[in-house]
Amino acid sequence: MHGTDEDHIPHLKEDLIKNLRLDFFDDDEIEAVLRDLEYLDKRIRQKTLALCQTLSHASSSLVPKTLKRIKNASRFLTLREMDRWITQAFDTLDHQGVDHFLGFISRMDEESLWEFLMPKGLTLQEVAPVLETYVRGISGLALKLEPRAESYTDTATIYLPHFLNRYDERDRNFLLYKFIVVHKCAQISQGTLAPGPELLNTFIGDNWQPYPDIETFFRLFQEKDLAIDIYNILEAVRLEPFLEKELPGLMKEVPGLKKDFLKDRAPLSSLNGKSAFVESLYQFYLKGHTDEHASDTVRSVTERMSALGKEPSLHKSMEDLFSIYQTASSLEGSYHPRSHLLLLGVIKPEEVSLHLKEERRAHQKKLEGMITKLINMPSFEPQKTSSHKNIFTENMPDPAKEYLLIKGRVIELDHETKNIIEKRGGIPGGIIVNGSDIGGAGCPLTLNQLAEEEQVFEEVEGGILYDEWDYKRGGYKKSWCTLFEHTIHPVHEPFVELTLKRYSGYVNILRKKFELLKREPKIVRRQKEGDDIDIDATVEAFSDIRAGLSPNENFFTKYDRQERNFAVLFLLDMSGSTKGWVNEAEKASLVLMAEALEALGDRYAVYGFSGMTRNRCDYYCVKGFEDSYSDIVKKRISGITPKDYTRMGPPIRHSTRILKSVEARTKLFITLSDGKPEDYDTYKGNYGIEDTRKALMEAKQQGIHSFCITIDKEASSYLRYMYGEVNYIVIDDVKQLPNRITEIYRRLTT
Amino acid sequence: MAQAVKTEEYILEEEPYYLPTGKEIDIFESAYHNQIPVLLKGPTGCGKTRFMQYMAWKLGRPLITISCHDDLTASDLVGRYLVRGGETVWIDGPLTRAVKAGGFCYLDEIVEARKDTTVVIHPLADDRRILPIEKLGEILKAPPEFLMSISYNPGYQSVLKDLKQSTRQRFLAIDFTYPDKKLEKEVIMHETGIQDVIAEKLVNYAEKTRNLKDRGLIEGASTRLLIHAAKLISSGIEPRKACEVAITEPLTDDHEMLTALSELVSSIF
Repeated sequence: MHGTDEDHIPHLKEDLIKNLRLDFFDDDEIEAVLRDLEYLDKRIRQKTLALCQTLSHASSSLVPKTLKRIKNASRFLTLREMDRWITQAFDTLDHQGVDHFLGFISRMDEESLWEFLMPKGLTLQEVAPVLETYVRGISGLALKLEPRAESYTDTATIYLPHFLNRYDERDRNFLLYKFIVVHKCAQISQGTLAPGPELLNTFIGDNWQPYPDIETFFRLFQEKDLAIDIYNILEAVRLEPFLEKELPGLMKEVPGLKKDFLKDRAPLSSLNGKSAFVESLYQFYLKGHTDEHASDTVRSVTERMSALGKEPSLHKSMEDLFSIYQTASSLEGSYHPRSHLLLLGVIKPEEVSLHLKEERRAHQKKLEGMITKLINMPSFEPQKTSSHKNIFTENMPDPAKEYLLIKGRVIELDHETKNIIEKRGGIPGGIIVNGSDIGGAGCPLTLNQLAEEEQVFEEVEGGILYDEWDYKRGGYKKSWCTLFEHTIHPVHEPFVELTLKRYSGYVNILRKKFELLKREPKIVRRQKEGDDIDIDATVEAFSDIRAGLSPNENFFTKYDRQERNFAVLFLLDMSGSTKGWVNEAEKASLVLMAEALEALGDRYAVYGFSGMTRNRCDYYCVKGFEDSYSDIVKKRISGITPKDYTRMGPPIRHSTRILKSVEARTKLFITLSDGKPEDYDTYKGNYGIEDTRKALMEAKQQGIHSFCITIDKEASSYLRYMYGEVNYIVIDDVKQLPNRITEIYRRLTT
Repeated sequence: MAQAVKTEEYILEEEPYYLPTGKEIDIFESAYHNQIPVLLKGPTGCGKTRFMQYMAWKLGRPLITISCHDDLTASDLVGRYLVRGGETVWIDGPLTRAVKAGGFCYLDEIVEARKDTTVVIHPLADDRRILPIEKLGEILKAPPEFLMSISYNPGYQSVLKDLKQSTRQRFLAIDFTYPDKKLEKEVIMHETGIQDVIAEKLVNYAEKTRNLKDRGLIEGASTRLLIHAAKLISSGIEPRKACEVAITEPLTDDHEMLTALSELVSSIF
């Protein structure tokens, strides 16, 4: 912070009053100026006074005006920011004169003040890209980072303050960010937030729960906040050795951070019994030792904590929580969580629980959807579908399990499905029986398997029919999907122009890069004709002649421009889930890709797809191979909007058909999508994945090289299976897509 | 003093250091006895070439390594006539020499070679085990000791660098990945004599870079890079600097990724 030194104030004030009087200010006017000055916080008072004094040398009439502006600015800016703003004003006056100065201080709009907001600190936005990569490296998990007032995690997202200014130095603030995320990663990987049902149930005891989580656990404590904060500190102590082993470099810096944070903590004397107790635990965590004056109670607790740090175990940490909580709750006063320690953040059991429940709910919803389908399903005559039977013959009913008998089918019931059915009060037309009562009546299916069998939809006329792969039966469903070709309606929006403008610098580099690619010339040897003699070939031919053999006739080397002979088809996911950023990024990528390809001269086509059910697979043309990159194509790019679902098989098969009809040495097929293939009907889960995989394999058999770009924050394990070993890439930050895609294309084709 | 030995006579005398990660040694041995050619798959720097050296030493055969590139012609492999003092002399190519000597012929990075060149190895790599030498009008029958092996990095994503099915399906394939943490640490310590603690940190860092594969990095840090870094550290270079020049910088040029990687390094060291 800048000068709070008030020594100069009397002197400055005296000088200012003198100047004001010289300019015929009366006493009331001088009094008003001094009052305005008095009104300012003392930390910026001196600087303001100095400014006024300087101004008064030029013209005293500027002083009241300036003071008014300063007062105004202080409504938008914090003290620290005010300090910078006044400094800048002073500099403007010094270097550019009064006119510029007046211009500067009269700009009170948000944009002008923006650069003074949040000075010196570090915003999450600034470091998020690096920090996200860092977190992924550290944890191997696809964790999201999001701004929030407090730092905590729900095990899928890490919430962080959007701005850190604990330190003046950027690096220190960044260090703080790093430690916070690392600590959260450790909380996730080491079970702090999800101790596992078995461990939880040992504590929950009588109130046994099917899905206990940390929220249920903390319900055991009357003063929940107190328990959570103790647990947070205990866990921080437990995780320390783990972090020290994993990230010794980072942890070397931590004592320094702790020391600084210790300075911020208020003295214990100002707090009541419980709050002081927890505070002393915080301080123990920061200091690593107990105060000399600490009470015996605190001392015995911190000894326990030290022991936990030496032999870290989650079970022990939870046990300790109970005994320490006991001690704490016997103290006087009610617990008021004081300012939390930024280093540790907070634990929010309800958010963790919410996330876990959401995951479970999504799973349940899927099951429920399947049960609904089950009810609406036509009756099933077992003898007619021997093909299904063959697949599942090895799957005999287990006498110990329960099954649902419905419309001639035997469905295996797991715990969750049974719960859902019981909640509904049974299923019309279905009964639940024990496995022992079924005998050989049928082979049980799981709900998943069943759902992927098909229900009958009405057929739609017109369109192109495609087969679909059913992995269950190990064969194709003939002419199962109907695909319709459409042309995207051109939209008169300057999307392409705006994108080019936004990426203007990059576009130039891009064009250059791709042009280089085109002209990457090479000397090819052993040519029938060419620019120069291939010495090796000539010597060889000469030797062959001598040896009485007929020589090879290719004696020349040629400077070859390496004709590129590529045809590439881009297939865009236009499903509803791409709405927003993904769609924007896909479009921007197309614009950049088009620029690059125009420079390169490779032939390309762009199509989009979406649809709903197998009877309506929509395939949208943005640019065919024969179309030039014309205005209408640009308008079609603007017109790409998210539609319905993602049934990937049919559009891939259709793209294969289009590529097959194109003459090119190398045919490339690039898909851009944002996650799992999924349609309104049963095209979900394994079924969708298997069909997509099959469609890609079909393309490969036709000599088409496929490459899949997935924008998927979750980036699940299915990708590797679906796309095969090498032919895909996951981009988790959608904003990177436009830059990355051109690089990917370059790498693919060189 | 450097000593020149003919490639096909060069038999490794000292045991090359190789730490098995699975059954690859047994598999290779039985491929050798059954005369099946071997394809080594795996990312760069995970020990494919070292494994070949080790097997050549173990089975006491000369190892002829050919690094493939896109100018490699069939004559470069099989041989050609040269003129010497008005006479023409036939000079065997390395492949022919390997067959004659009953050695191990190892075509490193086979995808780099032109597709018409790779076809030359086909008759050698199936049950015929012959090498037709067109210019001599001869057919060379490979002795039982001869073994063909190729290596290939499936991590390449260029469509132009894919191995043809007709080539792949002649080989038995052994998949190489990076060794697990404990083994990798042992390898680094053995190769460089570096302290346990540092080796562990290096392995730790490598693991974190491998978490970033396909998410900004084309490949994670290889064992080879770790060994380079360990060597630098042994000779007194500060560990963070050593990681930067030996691991981080070779991995990527992307500014943001470099920053994130160096943050990882400084968190570990």
